[in-house]
Amino acid sequence: MASVKLTNVKKIYGKDTVAVQDFNLDIADKEFIVFVGPSGCGKSTTLRMIAGLEDISDGTVEIDGVVVNDLQPRDRDIAMVFQNYALYPHLTVFENMAFSLRLKKVPQDEVYEKVTKAAEILGITEYLTRKPRALSGGQRQRVAIGRAMVRDSKVFLMDEPLSNLDAKLRNQMRAEIILLRQKIDTTFIYVTHDQTEAMTLGDRIVIMKDGFIMQVGTPTEVFDMPDNLFVAEFIGAPKMNTFMTDLVCEEGKYYVTPYGAKIEVNGKKADMLKKKQIGSREITLGVRPEHFILADKDDPAAIPCKIVVNEMMGSELHLHVVEENGDKLIVRIPTVTLDDDMRKSLVYGATIYVTFEGKVMHFFDTETEKNLLV
Amino acid sequence: MKRLNDLDYLKLNKFDAFLYKLKLFFCAIPLWFKNLGLGILKFLKNCGIGIKDEFCDIGYTFKNGNWAVKLSFFIFGFGNFYYGQIMRGLLFLLFELVFIGYMLVPSGGLYWLAKGNWFKTGSTIGTVQGGFKYDPIYDTDVWVPGDDSVKVMLYGLLTIIFIVAFVVTWRMQVKQCRICIDITKKGKKVRSGKDDLKSLLDDQFHKTLLSIPLFGIMAFTVLPIIYMVLVAFTSYDAAHDGYSNLFSWVGLEHFNELLDFGKGGLGLAFGEILGWTLMWAFFATFSNYFLGMFVAIMINKKGIKIKKFWRTVLVMTIAIPQFVSLLYVSKLFDSSGIIGKLIGQIPSVSEYLTSNHFISLWDSPIVAKILVIVINIWIGIPYIMLMATGILMNIPADLYESSRIDGASPWQQYSKITLPYMMFVMGPYLLTSFVGNLNNFNVIYLLTGGNPLNTAIGTAGGASVGHTDLLITWLFKMTLGSTESKYYMASLIGILVFVVVAVLSLIVYNIIPSTRNEEDYK
Amino acid sequence: MKNKNQLQKSLSASTSRRLGNTVVYILLIVMTLVWLFPFVGIVLESFKVDVRGMDGKFIPGEFGFDNYIRLFKETDFFRWFINTGIMGVATAVLQTFFVLSMSYVLSRLRFKGRKGLMNLMLILGMFPGFLTMILIYKVFSDFGLTMNMAPVGLIIVYCASSGMGYYVSKGFFDTIPKSLDEAARVDGATRWQVFRKVIMPLSKPIIIYTVLMGFMAPWGDFMLASYIIHENSAGMSVAVGMYEWLSKTMVNTNYTMFCAAGVIVAIPVVSVFLALQKYYVEGVTGGAVKG
Repeated sequence: MASVKLTNVKKIYGKDTVAVQDFNLDIADKEFIVFVGPSGCGKSTTLRMIAGLEDISDGTVEIDGVVVNDLQPRDRDIAMVFQNYALYPHLTVFENMAFSLRLKKVPQDEVYEKVTKAAEILGITEYLTRKPRALSGGQRQRVAIGRAMVRDSKVFLMDEPLSNLDAKLRNQMRAEIILLRQKIDTTFIYVTHDQTEAMTLGDRIVIMKDGFIMQVGTPTEVFDMPDNLFVAEFIGAPKMNTFMTDLVCEEGKYYVTPYGAKIEVNGKKADMLKKKQIGSREITLGVRPEHFILADKDDPAAIPCKIVVNEMMGSELHLHVVEENGDKLIVRIPTVTLDDDMRKSLVYGATIYVTFEGKVMHFFDTETEKNLLV
Repeated sequence: MKRLNDLDYLKLNKFDAFLYKLKLFFCAIPLWFKNLGLGILKFLKNCGIGIKDEFCDIGYTFKNGNWAVKLSFFIFGFGNFYYGQIMRGLLFLLFELVFIGYMLVPSGGLYWLAKGNWFKTGSTIGTVQGGFKYDPIYDTDVWVPGDDSVKVMLYGLLTIIFIVAFVVTWRMQVKQCRICIDITKKGKKVRSGKDDLKSLLDDQFHKTLLSIPLFGIMAFTVLPIIYMVLVAFTSYDAAHDGYSNLFSWVGLEHFNELLDFGKGGLGLAFGEILGWTLMWAFFATFSNYFLGMFVAIMINKKGIKIKKFWRTVLVMTIAIPQFVSLLYVSKLFDSSGIIGKLIGQIPSVSEYLTSNHFISLWDSPIVAKILVIVINIWIGIPYIMLMATGILMNIPADLYESSRIDGASPWQQYSKITLPYMMFVMGPYLLTSFVGNLNNFNVIYLLTGGNPLNTAIGTAGGASVGHTDLLITWLFKMTLGSTESKYYMASLIGILVFVVVAVLSLIVYNIIPSTRNEEDYK
Repeated sequence: MKNKNQLQKSLSASTSRRLGNTVVYILLIVMTLVWLFPFVGIVLESFKVDVRGMDGKFIPGEFGFDNYIRLFKETDFFRWFINTGIMGVATAVLQTFFVLSMSYVLSRLRFKGRKGLMNLMLILGMFPGFLTMILIYKVFSDFGLTMNMAPVGLIIVYCASSGMGYYVSKGFFDTIPKSLDEAARVDGATRWQVFRKVIMPLSKPIIIYTVLMGFMAPWGDFMLASYIIHENSAGMSVAVGMYEWLSKTMVNTNYTMFCAAGVIVAIPVVSVFLALQKYYVEGVTGGAVKG
């Protein structure tokens, strides 16, 4: 139960390979924070610096107001769950979970109480006498979490804990972690490359790329108001469509003109554009696949496209389409909105007309890739 | 030479591709040397920068340090005392006192150094020659010991090492002062003695674990090797053993003998023995390698039963101490041994032996050479078989399955999958095994003792030269087997062996792909 | 029609495999005979009563235990045997400590000078090591570690530099996932505790391998032992002692006794070896892969 504060933290390997660049972040007590980004973005390195497993090249890490840069991992009062579980193969599940308590020379009855309690919460009581190799992936994961739980530490670190599990189990464990979080009331720092995990678990999300923080915010913030093109494309699946187009300002009204169509910007976005006094200019426009809708052929806002791939997901269709210039777009259409004839007509090579609503688009500077409205 | 891009290279047929690769290899050789030269230059430059940095650092420490730090430039550990690191300070101080004490006491460091006449060509090592002197008590001449050159040299060397250690320690404690200055400037606390002790089991754990093994290596390998290198520049042999006769520094005199290619000349003997050593290492390594692999494949073949039995039979040769099995096998081929007698009865063989005045098979140089290689196969196959078995089991089965679907025959599977895989994985082992065979004392010495004698050379370097002698067995005889015991010659040859092995290793290391990256296998 | 063809093809495939297997069996049997021949030979030789030298016969003319009795009655063999056994045990223990410390540090800890240390040992290994014995013998003889105390001297020789043979066990340690160390350190373990409580319990195979190698070293070594043990003394090892028996002057009276001694020497080593064969194979295989 502690706050964590990172100030100008840097990680440099060798002479000049920079893994983490000027990382600043305040993590509040009992907050669940998620570091997310593609592989090699420095998220794990940052976590390992907090844990004390990597040296900190520059800057300071504070836990509970104490600078921990020079402390050994064991003196930082943290618990950590590893990607490949890192269970001790020669110890039983019970001893694995009790390992840290044994090192602290905690009396046996207390050890027993703590371990069995954690095991009960995680539903692994019946496996306590087994060795890790006799467990399935999901059970091992629980043991790893249990091992971290019994420590009652200030900060709970998790390094891609679910990425070795298969898809179904991963969803299940994700839900369990949410539940767990309510039971263990502490600060969580969670690293993942999966944006779904980040969105569902985090109080706040830190999106990283090439060692830089791209954006920090709540799931809603990063989804609705991505700071830049990278965040926009990274958060949300399938990913946001982006294309270059013109923003036109006519008589106080804004239009975008993708592929010859003309769509008016309205709602909050229009107000914000006005407030920022942005004039006509070239922009990169971002539209999420689910914000596309099918349009009439004659609609001035309609964009004609050819279907390349039709993915039937059950509740929705993912259409990969190619616009006349050759740009590829992804369109997501709920199946309930389609009648049978329509559905049958959506085949390879068919031409469809799509458009999107004026209030859900994102505007980015083509050069700097920054959101124009932030 | 122009490099082809990948796609153009793929267009070449097999032969052209081979030619291209060959050309590339040879064209790269000048580049190697260039890189080597550049590497050395860069290293020197870095050294220069390093030394400059050191001096800057020392200067900075002296300028910015307080009186205690300045004092610790002369009296070790004062800086540490000032900053509260009593334990470290005491250790440093103790070291300095021991050093000064050792250097100054009578028959201490300075005494031994002065006696050594270090590198003065022509001067004896040690100054007092022992000799017989009339002793009135016993009324006869008794031996009055003088200096022992071996000891003088050893203690001199130890003193030099001690001096180096002193300088390094001085630098270390100056550096620690600097660290303390920096830490207190930042307002942090310096490590206490208790922290130091604790860290020996934690972040300094490597020092704890390494201390004893490294001390062993320093005392029993590094020190003797330096000593033996020095011996090459002296006249240390049985006649000048240092005790009854002092030996002296002779400079590069012995190196001239290497150029003597006449009968009994060192150059001739060395050349001949080196040639056979390389040939032996080549045949011994590759015959074992291919045959061992072949045996492993046979035993692991599908449908072969009692695999464990076949393996255990072979493994027996590893378990039985080599001096028992090799000496016995050597006698088997003797004229009155079971096999030797049997073969000797074959008419053509007996004719060959008698016409050359040979008694047993071991007396014929060519037969002896073939025999040691063959018997070495008997010794070596089991090792390779075990290794190859492990590797064979590691080759993913789907490689074979997919190749079978692609229509590969068993032979093609072997040559396109098994062999390349083995070569890759066992590449580093081949290198170590080659080097090991260069120095394979046991097999040669226990089987033939280096015999039959090479009459064309006779004796060189104080030891008889045989047809099957390797450099290492020759060295052994030079130091132990002969009455002359030319130690200086042995250490000279030892240096040459080192050069040969180092050059060979370097070349092979550069050719084999799998030796390069330690982390590749993780 | 088609079916019949296929049937024929598969028949011929199975016959060709059977043929191949037969060839392999023949080769294996021949090989087994070649490999076992010296061992059977040495055992039979040791039971010969009618001759003491070499008679070129495989089967003894007369069986008996004379050679074994002579071995213990007329020679110091028992003494040598005990010496070598003591050396074996001591070397096994000390060498394991040296080798494991070295390889553990080089494999799992990162510190300044690690690469340099490894390069240094690589280079040292290229120097013909036994030349160091010239100096070591001289020093040992001053300390009285050469004659009756030779076993002690030899133990030091076998163990002192054994840290340089870290390759195989480093290869083993390299395969233990690093995250285990990290997990333990986060759990509150010092490096020492990581070593004691996590890595050592997982290293049984390599510990046994190293012990085995250490135990076998003194039994097979002739080169280093012959430096330290010059004259006939109570400190002899079996290798040095028995080597004399086959010299030109002694072979005619001592050959069969040598064989008997060889059999006795082989028994402890072979039995320990075969019992721990599994670990030896693991070590050797790992060593090949790691280089």
